[in-house]
Amino acid sequence: MKIKLTSLYVDDQEKALRFYTEGLGFVKKADFSQGPFRWLTVASPEDPDGTELQLTLNNNPAAKAYQQAMFQQNQPAAMFYTDDVQADYERMKARGAVFTMPPKDVTASKIAMLNDTCGNLIQVTQLKSW
Amino acid sequence: MTIRQQYTPGPASGAHVRKDRAQDGEDKWTLVLVRELRHSPEKVWQALTDPAHLREWAPFDADGSLGTVGSTVKLTTVGAPATHVTETRVTRADAPKVLEYNWGDHDVRWELEPAGGGTRLTLWTNIGHRFIAMGAAGWHICFDVLDHLLSGTPLGRIVGSEAMKFGWQRLHAEYAQQFGIAMPNWPPKTAQE
Repeated sequence: MKIKLTSLYVDDQEKALRFYTEGLGFVKKADFSQGPFRWLTVASPEDPDGTELQLTLNNNPAAKAYQQAMFQQNQPAAMFYTDDVQADYERMKARGAVFTMPPKDVTASKIAMLNDTCGNLIQVTQLKSW
Repeated sequence: MTIRQQYTPGPASGAHVRKDRAQDGEDKWTLVLVRELRHSPEKVWQALTDPAHLREWAPFDADGSLGTVGSTVKLTTVGAPATHVTETRVTRADAPKVLEYNWGDHDVRWELEPAGGGTRLTLWTNIGHRFIAMGAAGWHICFDVLDHLLSGTPLGRIVGSEAMKFGWQRLHAEYAQQFGIAMPNWPPKTAQE
């Protein structure tokens, strides 16, 4: 058994695809539809066969309520790891990404938070070596 | 061999796509599928609206009849890799001629015309351009299953991944070519083997 996929609610899959590819730099992995259902995933180009992030439409009240509550409480809906959070911050900011928190030193790591424009906060984490 | 095991869809035919410019400036694509059935419009109407009939051929389950205008029905996509339920509103139900409702954000319109003792069935449904050939392939197989059901030789529903065992990939490629659109990379080669 492996951890291969994690899901994220988004309020617009097309917009989310743009943000997670053009903004964040991930690549589209799977994209198919069955009627109005669309299975859409992205992966990191550094690990194309690694864990996939599913961009799921929040088309039910429970998903919407959960997503909004997490956002209002400033809780990230997902965390991505990087080797250089400052460089990623500069790169994504230059592409128009909106950060709610620039890189900041915290216990054991350096983190930044940005708005994915699809209803979520995303945390980018760089682990510190001790 | 059972009838189901013997089933192979015929070549892609009877479908075309339409492109309209929506008010927001984005292109709106519509898939139009036409199928001649050797059954009366009344019989076809029942298969399109009655949940017990839909369960035998349609790509979704309905928790109520789709034959009453104004009613709200829950549609569950069958065979999708995650549970997907959408609430549907029947906006037109002129039995046995025209039926309109939404399936999620897709508008669905059915027209039934008497033709040569049977019915000429036309489906209009808007689908994103990238998925329109997939939709055509899926509905093609659903229509075959519908035809068998109405003829009293039911195949059993063939939707979702089940369709991949019955020539869906070939139909997908044929429709993509007919529509002049690039084949999406789906399913991945490994998944086909």
